[in-house]
Amino acid sequence: MKTFFFKLLLVCALAVTAEAKEIKLLNASYDPTRELYQDYNAAFARYWKAKTGDDVVVAQSHGGSGKQAQSVINGLGADVVTLALAYDIDAISQQAKLLPADWQKRLPDNSTPYTSTIVFLVRKGNPKHIKDWDDVVKPGVVVVTPNPKTSGGARWNYLAAWAYALDQYGHDDAKARDFVKRLYKNVPVLDSGARGSTTTFVERGIGDVLLAWENEAYLALKQFGADKFDIVTPSLSILAEPPVAVVDKVAKKHGTAEVAQAYLEYLYSDEGQDIAGRNFYRPRDPKAAAKYAGQFSPVKLVTVDSVFGGWQKAQKIHFADGGVFDQIFQP
Amino acid sequence: MKLTQLIRVGLAGLLIAFPAGAADEAATNSTGAVPAEISASIAVSNTTAGPADAAEIDALKKAVQELGQKVQALEQQRQQEQQTNTAAATEQIQDLDQKVRILGRQRELDQDAAAAAAKAQPKLIAGTSGFTAMSADSNFVFSLKGVLQVDSRTFFHDSDIKSNDGFLLRRARPIFQGTVDRDFDFRFTPDFAPATPTIFDAYGNYRYAPWAQLRAGKFKTPEGLEQLQEDVYTSFNERSLVTDLVPNRDVGLQLWGDINGGVLSYAVGIFNGVGDAQNSGNAAYENEVEFAGRLFAQPFKNSDLTALQGLGFGVAGTSQNGTSNLKDLPSTTGGTSPGYTTDGQQQFFAYSTNTIANAEHWRLSPQGYYYYGPLSLMGEYAISDQGVRNTATGAKAYLQNTAWEISGGWVLTGENATFAGVTPLHPFDPHNGQWGALQVVGRYEELNIDNDAFPRFASLASSASAAQAWSAGLNWYLNKNIRINGSFSHTTFTGGGGAGTTAPAIVTRQAENVFFTRIQLSF
Repeated sequence: MKTFFFKLLLVCALAVTAEAKEIKLLNASYDPTRELYQDYNAAFARYWKAKTGDDVVVAQSHGGSGKQAQSVINGLGADVVTLALAYDIDAISQQAKLLPADWQKRLPDNSTPYTSTIVFLVRKGNPKHIKDWDDVVKPGVVVVTPNPKTSGGARWNYLAAWAYALDQYGHDDAKARDFVKRLYKNVPVLDSGARGSTTTFVERGIGDVLLAWENEAYLALKQFGADKFDIVTPSLSILAEPPVAVVDKVAKKHGTAEVAQAYLEYLYSDEGQDIAGRNFYRPRDPKAAAKYAGQFSPVKLVTVDSVFGGWQKAQKIHFADGGVFDQIFQP
Repeated sequence: MKLTQLIRVGLAGLLIAFPAGAADEAATNSTGAVPAEISASIAVSNTTAGPADAAEIDALKKAVQELGQKVQALEQQRQQEQQTNTAAATEQIQDLDQKVRILGRQRELDQDAAAAAAKAQPKLIAGTSGFTAMSADSNFVFSLKGVLQVDSRTFFHDSDIKSNDGFLLRRARPIFQGTVDRDFDFRFTPDFAPATPTIFDAYGNYRYAPWAQLRAGKFKTPEGLEQLQEDVYTSFNERSLVTDLVPNRDVGLQLWGDINGGVLSYAVGIFNGVGDAQNSGNAAYENEVEFAGRLFAQPFKNSDLTALQGLGFGVAGTSQNGTSNLKDLPSTTGGTSPGYTTDGQQQFFAYSTNTIANAEHWRLSPQGYYYYGPLSLMGEYAISDQGVRNTATGAKAYLQNTAWEISGGWVLTGENATFAGVTPLHPFDPHNGQWGALQVVGRYEELNIDNDAFPRFASLASSASAAQAWSAGLNWYLNKNIRINGSFSHTTFTGGGGAGTTAPAIVTRQAENVFFTRIQLSF
């Protein structure tokens, strides 16, 4: 009978090994990446099938970056996260211990395979003559931007405006604060995510200017018609670096660690970079970046690290409960 | 007088040509030229005026021109005011439009936020599966379920056996189960039907993944197929003779899982070890533990072959060394354990009082089922190989008792039969002509005692060496929660039937014919 049990255990072990071949991934991402990852998932599935013979199906979950991070912390079984900013993945690491603190070192370019920035989407003909951030804060200009408490894109918007004000007013924080306060005085409604704000501006017809991810603005132009909107690139904006990471403990639990890692690594491939460029993200790879450079207007870009001392500091000062945003924004 | 007349004529001309509010005419003459009517009047006057009046006429012309200019200025002013008012009105309308749009959007967002907040609230659910309270993220769940079975047993042609007919509460079990911290499940099932309330299930379960779970506590040993089927889903009131040879509940630790959604299921565990058909106590102190394992496959479960999706088969076994207690035997004559019992739950075999378990005890059970539409089939074979020793004579032996059964059913009303019961397509509602689901069931079963058991370890005079039974029944599923059964079982015995007024002799003296009924409430 002992041999019977050993055989039984052996069969069980073999069966468990066989289970690892079933591949389903969940990618928890932020709002405006829907189209990017629809394209990319199909490409990766083809790649993985050719490489291993296995089928891989990637499910997508989208929402405000902060909300998505909280969902993962609360148990959303995402194998990978592709969020709007590093702080949100840091939160997953710190609060839920689902991946190590040094997650950003595991992939090139601080685990940011593509970048973007913040631009203005205005009504066709730019009736309010919005050229730069100064025009956005003028009285009577209605601005649409999401809630920095829940949206990564909104935090990039906020910091871009702040960085511009610092640049304009001799790095005077008080003046920058006043500048951003005036900006949010022009904001009548705060959506929870960037896609919601696009809906507010484009489909609901609210506002004179949408502070938008560059890719989101170009996508709106592509989807809703260049005869309805114009893109205005400000003189200064921020280099938005949306990072990606495997959620180690979830992927391990699902038995998907290997394919999850490959999924993110493939973002750096020629095809992955090309897909990013096609979807109006700025590829990291110089060749792909050169290919798509023509579709973007030149803009002076600053980084969170250089102006705000990194995301941890920026989050604590500006977006934490009781932070600057809470102080200046009166709904 | 001529001059006076001329002035009157001129002014009259002006009044006629530019009445107050004659905007349309004025609009057509915005160049500052003197209107034609006035010019005509002046021309007429000039032809009749003398040189003395020339200066007056010039003055008059000038005055008229000035008046015309003033009128023109007034018109322009009025037009500008109109344009200003229109622009202001347009702007006001646009502002209002924006405000309305903003309010509308804000309302949308408020509704979204309310919906999100509702999702974040704990949920209370009452339904056919019981009463459940859970946290918004489903990480904490508590469910109250229950089983109540009210049976009747009516025996025929058993005049020697007294007091075996009547009604009984077969099971009265509240079931408390749930989840804490997402991955940790628990279940607690007491039964208040026996004279002494008994704990049937009391365990915790950690779900690392569906295919890797760890369970600890008191629960069903992974062995008998019909035994592992939930009590509320068995085809008949009582399980078959095969279940006499497999363990019921035991205390132990089990690694188990469902691979690929249940295409393959496995379980391996370490238990205290119990005798055949026994439900363990809450503690057992022995040196030797029992190992149990089960592998069950449903290879077509996820395939497109619908006719084979409900095919499942597997094998299970247990092994224990060093058994040496009375409690490791299914029963001894006069003992408290029920032992090997008939469908009517009457004991038909018992070891002699001086027989105890000895050395190794192992079981093996190949098993399978097939469900397709209203058809259900189940088959199971079991070997229980028990080492025994007669404490009076010192005789030892390994006794290999075997049993098998095959059962089947057909849902007359067309619903699908499954291992987890039948769900009526038209739950009982006589007001609307709905009567639930009806299923006919049948079963044949046998249990054979090893011939070496007699006479050294059991008395052939009192115990049967074999039992064979057939059963037929009708199950009425009123809805998901209420079921009414009626069935008849006929059991014959080989051996036994000797003198005595107690089981098993009195039971095996004649064939057993018993009619069962059951009213079952489960949720």
